[in-house]
Order: sequence, then structure tokens, then C-alpha cells
Amino acid sequence: MAQAMRPQMMGARVSRVEDPRLLSGQARYLDDIQVPGMLEIAFVRSPHAAADIIYMDLEAARQYPGVYAVLTYDECPVWLWDKATYEVGQPVLAHGEVQYVGQPVVAIVAEDRYVAEDAAELVRIDYRPRTPVLNMRDALHDQPHRVHAHTPNVFFHQEYQTPGFDEAFRQAPHHLSATFRTNRQTAVTIEPRGTAAMIDPASGRLTVYASTQSPHRMREDISRLLDIPEHLVRVVVPEVGGGFGMKANCYPEDIVVARVAQMLRRPVKWVSDRTESLLSDVHGRDDIHDVEVAFDADGRIIAIRDHLMADGGAYPAYPFSGAVGETSLAARVLTGPYDIPHLATVIDCTYSNKTPLGAYRGVWGPIASFIQEGVVDRVARYLGLDPAEVRRRNLIHDDQFPYRNAAGMIYDRGSYRESFEDALALIGYDEFRRQQAMDRQQGRYRGIGISVFVEPTAMASSEAGSVGYESCTIRIEPSGRVTAALGLGPTGQGHETTMAQLIADELGVNLEDIVILHGDTDSAPYGGGTGGSRSGPIGGGAALVAGRQMRERLIKYAAHLLEAGEEDIELGHGEAWVAGVPERSISIRTIAETAYTNVRRIPEGLPIGLEVTARYLPKRPVSFSNGTHVAEVEVDVRTGIVRVVRYAVVNDCGRLINPTIVEGQIQGGVAQGIGAVLLEALNYDENGQLVTTSLLDYLLPESTDVPQMIIQHRETPSDGEGGIKGMGEGSLIASPAAVANAISDALAPFDAFVDTLPVTPDMVLAMVQRKGA
Amino acid sequence: MKPVAFDYVAATTVEEAVNALREPGAKVLAGGQSLVPLMNFRLSRPSRLVDINGVASMAHIEVRERELILGALVRHQQLVEDPEIRRSLPVLSRAAQHIGHWAIRTRGTLGGSVAHADPAAELPALLVALGATIAVVGPEGTRELTAEAFFEGFYTTALAPSELVTQVKLPLPQGAVGFKEVVRRPGDFALAGAYVERLGSGGAVTWFGFGDRPRRFSVREWPSDPEDRRHVWVELVRNVPVEERDQYKYELAVAVAEESYRDAGGEE
Amino acid sequence: MADERSVVELTVNGRPYRVEVSPRWSLADVLRHRLGLTGTHVGCEQGVCGACTVWLDGEPVRSCLLFAVQAAGHEITTVEGITPAEGLSPLQEAFHRHHALQCGYCTPGMLLTAEALLRRNPAPDEATVREALTGNLCRCTGYQFIVDAVLSMRPSGGED
Ligand SMILES: Cc1cc2nc3c(=O)[nH]c(=O)nc-3n(C[C@H](O)[C@H](O)[C@H](O)COP(=O)(O)OP(=O)(O)OC[C@H]3O[C@@H](n4cnc5c(N)ncnc54)[C@H](O)[C@@H]3O)c2cc1C
Ligand code: FES
Ligand code: FES
Repeated sequence: MAQAMRPQMMGARVSRVEDPRLLSGQARYLDDIQVPGMLEIAFVRSPHAAADIIYMDLEAARQYPGVYAVLTYDECPVWLWDKATYEVGQPVLAHGEVQYVGQPVVAIVAEDRYVAEDAAELVRIDYRPRTPVLNMRDALHDQPHRVHAHTPNVFFHQEYQTPGFDEAFRQAPHHLSATFRTNRQTAVTIEPRGTAAMIDPASGRLTVYASTQSPHRMREDISRLLDIPEHLVRVVVPEVGGGFGMKANCYPEDIVVARVAQMLRRPVKWVSDRTESLLSDVHGRDDIHDVEVAFDADGRIIAIRDHLMADGGAYPAYPFSGAVGETSLAARVLTGPYDIPHLATVIDCTYSNKTPLGAYRGVWGPIASFIQEGVVDRVARYLGLDPAEVRRRNLIHDDQFPYRNAAGMIYDRGSYRESFEDALALIGYDEFRRQQAMDRQQGRYRGIGISVFVEPTAMASSEAGSVGYESCTIRIEPSGRVTAALGLGPTGQGHETTMAQLIADELGVNLEDIVILHGDTDSAPYGGGTGGSRSGPIGGGAALVAGRQMRERLIKYAAHLLEAGEEDIELGHGEAWVAGVPERSISIRTIAETAYTNVRRIPEGLPIGLEVTARYLPKRPVSFSNGTHVAEVEVDVRTGIVRVVRYAVVNDCGRLINPTIVEGQIQGGVAQGIGAVLLEALNYDENGQLVTTSLLDYLLPESTDVPQMIIQHRETPSDGEGGIKGMGEGSLIASPAAVANAISDALAPFDAFVDTLPVTPDMVLAMVQRKGA
Repeated sequence: MKPVAFDYVAATTVEEAVNALREPGAKVLAGGQSLVPLMNFRLSRPSRLVDINGVASMAHIEVRERELILGALVRHQQLVEDPEIRRSLPVLSRAAQHIGHWAIRTRGTLGGSVAHADPAAELPALLVALGATIAVVGPEGTRELTAEAFFEGFYTTALAPSELVTQVKLPLPQGAVGFKEVVRRPGDFALAGAYVERLGSGGAVTWFGFGDRPRRFSVREWPSDPEDRRHVWVELVRNVPVEERDQYKYELAVAVAEESYRDAGGEE
Repeated sequence: MADERSVVELTVNGRPYRVEVSPRWSLADVLRHRLGLTGTHVGCEQGVCGACTVWLDGEPVRSCLLFAVQAAGHEITTVEGITPAEGLSPLQEAFHRHHALQCGYCTPGMLLTAEALLRRNPAPDEATVREALTGNLCRCTGYQFIVDAVLSMRPSGGED
């Protein structure tokens, strides 16, 4: 290629092609799927945290007018079980016992949801309740007993330590310890989960509509668990109203819905209501970290020790236990952007009688950042140093990349120091400090919190599965229009736009002439789906590779048809021409016509038609994005109410495909982080009842809870395709730490530190009162 | 989350409504902003709903010299926007602005809020603060109750099952009335709220958001020193019993009372 | 309790419909599943999320808290009703330009609330816009671009 095409779409603030259908109410989400004769399911769920099922009477429900079937485990004896990894699996409908409130026990299939709920009330189940296991520290010692009699409560244990840790830790001049706790939280997509299934009368194949992030994985799961050959299952993902990791799992309900369609040979649908969502969507976070840190008199951190504990709930979520994800990843990135030579971690994941723990955006990250940034601030306050200065002393230096952290993770190059200094400048850090002192004298408690983050992206495995690559099929139709299909499972990220931007540049065609297909296993090439911030770098990488292969083919055609050398061909605006001689040109459309219909003119050695499929597996097992968030809060020390008043972000996710979309991702994640610190908690009572089962109890941030954000980009390219790094999670990785630190900073006169999330008004008041101003 | 089946009666007069309510298990449907969520959770299971939205005689707003008369069907958003109400009883408009969100206020009614008697609701507390009377019609005829007598406890009132709240009479306060509440997010029910009336050198404080119902306490003389006033709040609020986990709300109550006091005095 | 059905006449987006409904069916369910107007979304059935927001006689209401039988004799407007036959409305265009939506699930409710606000108050300040939108939850956008889109509709084009 003589002249590299200058990218035009890459990096442009293109408005999304998805938008018109979403804005006009024409998009089709799962519950919008309505076909004649479709039945609906309601589940009878466990009202107990732990109980034996003594007796079930289903007769009244079966007799209820409008009911088509009532299923128990006997009709659907399927277990969600990754036997290679875990001793325990979950039956999709309870089998002899229940292990958490909300566990599906009976499925009622009826003409509509109203009738199904009526019949669900008629099911009589006698339970013998057991003492539930609810406390993580007790569960660790199998107290009050085992959740699953045949296996200890600790289902994942791992220890790691750097050589020479003990010595280094002991010899350090200063030590501090703290316990960090993040409560249970969950994704709460505004569109609840749902699944629909039907048998295609012609082929007899099972079509499952699922609001999932991983279409191919879902097909595999359904095929394997229900023992249907994979080619006879089709998974179609309609529009999905948010995922955030929560929709990456295969859930009991998915399997039951597919089974019912098979059994009754009727289309059937289940859509979660909000209470069911809060009970049965995978929960996230829920961990305790006992942390000790050793440091020198200058604030240089020498060693961190952490006992990481996470409550995995009653069963490992399938196929990905959030507890293992949250802890094992946290343990590998606990030193964050800091050059901390020594690390010792012990991980314990335990069972409890609570909802299974799965993925929620940023898995591990929000927790690890909260700890790592909390530790830095504690060291600073202990030594009487400015927290920004302590960060400067510990940040990894530019000449250390590629940097190997204390857990052995390799960081590729980033803008760690630059983004940090930029963010301080953006918020006006020094000016704030001056103002803060004056405010305090007047009884106003404002604080600033810094969070420097690393974000491992594009990992070989994530909650979306262990497919490390992504696939892209590009087809130029006979008319010259482009269809590209990927195995992704977008839930609002705008892939139809960003992937088209990448392909447009490669092929030199206009954005409007490209359509991106995804989410249908019949048309999309096999891929890993969306999760773990992989779609940009890996999906985008696949689009680039496929685009380049197609480009090469177009050039061969053009050279042949224009009788020029390949090195002289340029592409753009749907045309190919000879460099410097624009009148010697040919349209992509004519090339396509040749490729499909005028096949005798196809250059030698090229196949008929224009279609390529490329798979892209990044060379690195992981690529690190980075950046810094700074939050400013005001704490009303009389009421305990905290307001986030200013917020600045400097973000570096390598080459930007579409800065506007990146900013949207950041703003959304920061809002979730504000929720995580101030509002969101799934609370269980002493009987194991979830008491936050509505959106009046589980509080999400509203428009007035989120401040204006200032966002700046830096671009340190990765060495992968296009220089793209992932960025879907960084904003929620960094923001809880920033907001929590800001509260601690505001409450410094009270000698307080935030160590538990969320921080509710009563907790703030307690912190204030403990000391008094 | 779908309600159980019920039959539906759309009343157009008070008599029709009261008649339809004689049926056991019947319930009034006004704005539906409290009742319908409960029905969707199947926590409320009326066998009949008597929709009073078409009862034209219950939607009046009447400003008199000494009092404001409001039909039970006056919507929260009307309380916010009505120019007459804003002028004659601004604290009512301001308080109503804090109820839920816009799309809740366009439907939710004064009568519904009163009958529902949520201890954290803004309007019942204002009725108590101002010494309002509540007119009730039932099979036995009409009666009037003071707000103080009407609200009995958590979601409980003196209303009999087949009775209807028809209107509320709010005496226009002689003194200035301040309002302040603490919420975690705008639109949420208050963690704690207070109305403070300042009349001459004394007045009253009415708290809501904690305890089982709004409580009003008269104060003969407000101390002028904030620290002394703090003692007054602390003393008074201890008369409102709260559950263990809500103990911290005493702190909030003191804070909102003081702010409400300043609000009444036009202070920052 | 017998779940008896009756025919109601509804006016939705200016068009009359006759539908058989049970009194317990919410307006949201009837719009979506009987009239095929699936632009109105359901996210909580409790009045909190705002995804189901429609207009009743021009005022925003929760269609999950209104029974379809109650809507007889009123004008209902849904997102389909504020979308022009061709293309997008100015507010929809502003959402598009400002990237005010990601998954799009909250979007119809947001649009109806914002459009109702702008019709009453064509030049709201940022605080007013944020306050008006508190009843519409969005989990994706963090609200910033939604607020920007609404503010850009002011005659001054977004400047205060
Ligand atoms: C998301 C959300 C947030 C909210 N936030 C707040 C808030 O911050 N503050 C607040 O105060 N409220 C709040 N509300 C509740 C709202 O104010 C309701 O409008 C109000 O509580 C009930 O009024 P309604 O007209 O909707 O009554 P309905 O829901 O129709 O009825 C409520 C109860 O009162 C009975 N009833 C209604 N009218 C009469 C009558 N005239 N006579 C006898 N009985 C009657 C009904 O039978 C029912 O038992 C919120 C609601 C929602 C959904
Ligand atoms: S579905 Fe109506 S407000 Fe959420
Ligand atoms: S765009 Fe997804 S909820 Fe708002």
C-alpha cells in the first residue's frame, strides 16, 4: 500500500446510527416481542433464605383457568453447574431445598402475566426453615453451619505473596491497618431481564430471544444444558436496555423458558419485574478486605497485605462467580498505578444464603480502587502530607513501562503521571485547598478526592466468557453496500456506530453505506460477546483486520480493472482511483457488481464475491487503560447528606474511536460510582430476607445527584490493532474511590475515614459525632 | 407485579362513591400514586375500586379571607402551580413541590395523601401544623375532624372503610410558616422534615418523617440564641418515639427544625 | 373475583381505539401489548423509574399507575405521538446530536417529560431541567448529555 489512508471516521464525534429507532419508540426490546399464541411465565420464588421443601401442592394452580403448565424440578431437571470448577451447582428450579430468597421454585405458564401471577399465589409449598448463613466472617469458619452440607463454605481460596514480603513488611518504618467493606450492589438495568423462546415450525429449531451480552455463549449453554444440538438452537438478542455485566450470565429462568417452549411447542416469554430483578439478577461487590500497609517516612508505600473475602451467595453464578472475579482480579491489580514492590494476598470466597454474586461493571475494580486509593490517603494523613504529593511519590514512572506489578500483571504504556497532573489542574486542586481551609472555619465541610486508576481491558477472559478473540464478517453486497457482522452483544454502547466508523475508514465507504449486525447467532460469526471492556479493542480489532483484508481485495480489483499498480490505488467515498489521476476511478459498486455478476472479469486468484471473515486475538493478554478522577463533595455535617459538587476526569483509553461515546460511558459510570458511594445497597435482614426489593429502597442516582463533569482525553495507543484500549468500566472503577476519598477529606477535621460503602446519612453523622468538631 | 382482579366503578358524585364503597373490600381510587403500587405488589387487594376522579364536586380550590378550602381531588401539581394558593399559602406550594416527581404530582391528590397517611408525607404534616379540618362523608353522613385527630399512626387514620375524604379546610396562618426537609434524593419521602410557625415571640414546630405520624408542639417563647433553641428542639423531639435504627433522625430533626425556624423568619 | 372484560374507547396520539380490557390492566400494558405501541417502556411498575411516562391530556403521568379503563375520555400521547411522520422532532434531534441516550430504554419517558417541560417553559435553566427529570431514571448516561440536549432547545441555543 503506497499511501496509508488517513483515518477520517476514527476519532470523529459521529452521532450514533442506533439513535433514530430508539428515539422514536421503534426499537424492539425483549418484552416488545409479541407473537400470536405467546404464553407468559411467572415464577414462584423462595420466601425463605434456607429451607427444606417438605411438600408442594400444585393442583389449584394447574386447574386455574388460563394456566397451560406448571413446572417444578421434575419437569425441568437441569443444573447450572460448571462441574470442573465448583462442587455446587444450582438447579434451575429448586430441588428439595431452597438456598436464598427469590430462588425460582415453580414456573407457572399462563395466557398472560396477570393470570400467571394469580395462579402462582395458589401454589402451596410447605417449607422447614433452616438457620441461614448470612455473615461472611462466620461463614468462613463454617458457622453457623455449611450452606451445602457436602462442601465447606469456602469455595475458593488462594494465597500469593511476593518473595521477601515478610522481611520488607517488617522492616518498614510505619504501618497502618484498615478494614474496607463494600456492600452488595447490583446493576439495575432500567430494562429488566427477560427471555422468550419458540420453536420454528419449519425447521423445528429452537429460537431463544434473550436480553444477554453473550449470544454465542447463551447458545452453547442452552444447547448443552437442554441437550439440543447446537445447530438446532438460534439465539437472537433484541435491543437490550442496559447490561453492565449483569446480563452476561445464563440464568435459571433462561433455561426454564427454553424448556417450556420445547415442552409445549408454544411461544413463551418471561420478563422480570423489578422485585424479581432485585432478588434474582446477580448481585455484585459484597466483600470485606482486611488491609495492612507498610510505608516509609516519605510516604513511599513498600508493601500491602490484604485478606480479601467475598460473599458469593448460595451458588456460583453460572458460569462466572462474581465473588471469584471480584477478589482474584482485585488481588492482581491491588497496587493500581503505584510502584509498590511487595504484595501479599489471601482470598476467601464463601457461600451464604443470599442471591448468587455475579458481575457488575468494573468487577474487582471499584473495590480495589477504593482500597488502593483509601490506603494512599491514610498514609498521607498519617504523615501529615498532601494526598496528591503522596501519589506523586508512588506513581509508576514513564521509564518503567512495560511495568510488571507486584502481582505479576504487565501494564502497557499509559499516561499515569500526566493524566494525574492534568486532572489536578482541571479541578484547580491548589486553589481548592486554600478555599477549603477558609470554608472549614465557617462550618462548611468540603472535600476533594483523588482516584488514579488502571483499567485492565481486552482480557483473554472476562464475564463474557473465555473467548479471547472476536470475529467480524464483512460482506460487500452486489450493490456496493456493506454488511458487517460481529459476535458482540451491545447493551447501549453504540457498537453499530463505532464498528462502522472503523470499517468505513478501511474500505473508504460512507458510514451510511454500512450496516452492523450483531446478536443473532445465525448471522453473526462466533464471538465472545460484550463484557470486560473488550468490544472496543478486540471487537474493534476484528473489524479493522476484516476491513483491511477486504480493503486489500478491493485494491486488487481496482488495480486490475483500472490497469494500474496496486500500490497506486487509493480508496475513499465509495470510490477507488489511481493516485494523482482522480479521473481514472471506479466505484466500489462497480467492483461489487464485477465480483458477483461479471465474474469473468475477476482478477486471477480472487474468489467470487466480496466476503471476508477475520478473527482477532490480541497479542497481549490484557491492555491497561488509565486515568484520574477528582471529585469534590460537600458534606452537611448536621444531616449527613453528601452532595457531589464538581467532578473532573482525565481518561486515557488509547486511540479514541468516538470521543463522544467515550464521554457518555464515563459519565454513566461516574453516576453509578456516585450511587455506589452514597445510595446503593442491597440489604438483608437477620432472617436473610432481602429488604431492598423496590426502587424506593434500592436507590439509584437521579439527575440532580450527578454534577456537571469536566472530561479530558489523553491517547496513549496500545500496541494492539488500531491502538485501541477498552474503556467500558474505568469510570466505575475510579469513581467510588474518588467520591469516598472526598468525603474522608471533608471529614478530616473529625478524624474520619470512609471505610464502608455506601455511606448513608446515619453513618456520616456517626463519623462526625465520634469525634466532634 | 400485577394486581389481583377487581371490579371497577367510576363514580361521578359523592353519593355514588359512598354507595359503591359499601361493598366490603371496596377502596377509593384517587390519584393511584400510593394505592396502585401497593396493588401491583399485591400488598393491597381490593375487590372493587371506586374511581373518584370523575367526581367534579371534589376538585375545587376556594380561597377565603381566613381559610383555604381544597377539594380532596386537588392534585399536588395544582398546589404547586395555582396562583391563588401560591399567594395565600406559599408554604403549601413549596411543600407540595417536594412530593415525588412531576409525573407523580400531576396525578396524586390531596385527599389521597391525607387518607394514605404516610408519616413521611409533606401534606398531612402541614395539615397538622396549621390545624386544618378534614371533611369526611360516609353512609352516616358528613363529619369534620381536626387533622390532629384524623391521623392516628402509621398509615392509619380515623377514616372508616366506606368513608370518603371530600375536602380540607386550612386556616391561613397568622404567623410565618417555615418548611424544611431532609431527603436523600429530590422526590424521596423525607428522612425528617419540619414546619415551624413563628407568631409573636412563640409558635409551634411540627415534625414528620420519623415516628408514626406528624407531631406538633407549641412553643410559648423561642429563645433568641441558637444554642438555646437547639436545647428546645432536643427537648421537644424526644417526645416523638422512634425505632432503634431511626435514632439518628433526632439529629436531623433538630437540624431541620432550626432551618425551618430560620426559613419562617426569612433568614438564610 | 371474576376478571371481567369490558370495551373501552381510548384516544391515543389522536387516533381512536376500541379495546377490550380487564379493569386491572395498566395503561402501559394495554398500550404495549394490545395497541402495539411498544415505545412506552416498563421498568418498575411502581412509579419510580419513569420509563412508562406518557401524557394524559398533555401532562406527564405514569402509565404503570393508571388503569387503562381510567384513560377513557382522555387524550393519551406516547413517544410515537411526538415523533413526526418523517424524521425526528427537534428535541429528538437534540438527543441524537448530544448523545443523550445509550441503551435507549429510558429515552421515551425522558423525551415526554422534557418535551412537556419545554412546552411550558421554553427557556428553563439547568436546575429546572434537572429537577423536572428527577422522576426519570437513566442508568447509562449519567444524565449530563440529556440535560445538555434539553438545554440546547432554548431559544438561546443552550446558553444561559
Ligand atoms: C415514586 C413516588 C414518590 C412519591 N413521593 C412522595 C413524597 O415525597 N411525598 C408524599 O407525600 N407522597 C409521595 N408519593 C405519594 C403521592 O403523594 C400520592 O399521590 C399520595 O400519597 C396518595 O394520593 P393519591 O391521590 O395518589 O391516592 P391513591 O393512591 O389513589 O390512594 C391512596 C389511599 O388513599 C385512599 N384514598 C384516596 N383518596 C381518598 C379519598 N378522597 N377519601 C378516602 N380515601 C381515599 C385510597 O383508597 C388509598 O387507600 C410518592 C409516590 C410515588 C409513586
Ligand atoms: S414503570 Fe412506571 S414508573 Fe417505572
Ligand atoms: S439510556 Fe439506558 S437507561 Fe437511559
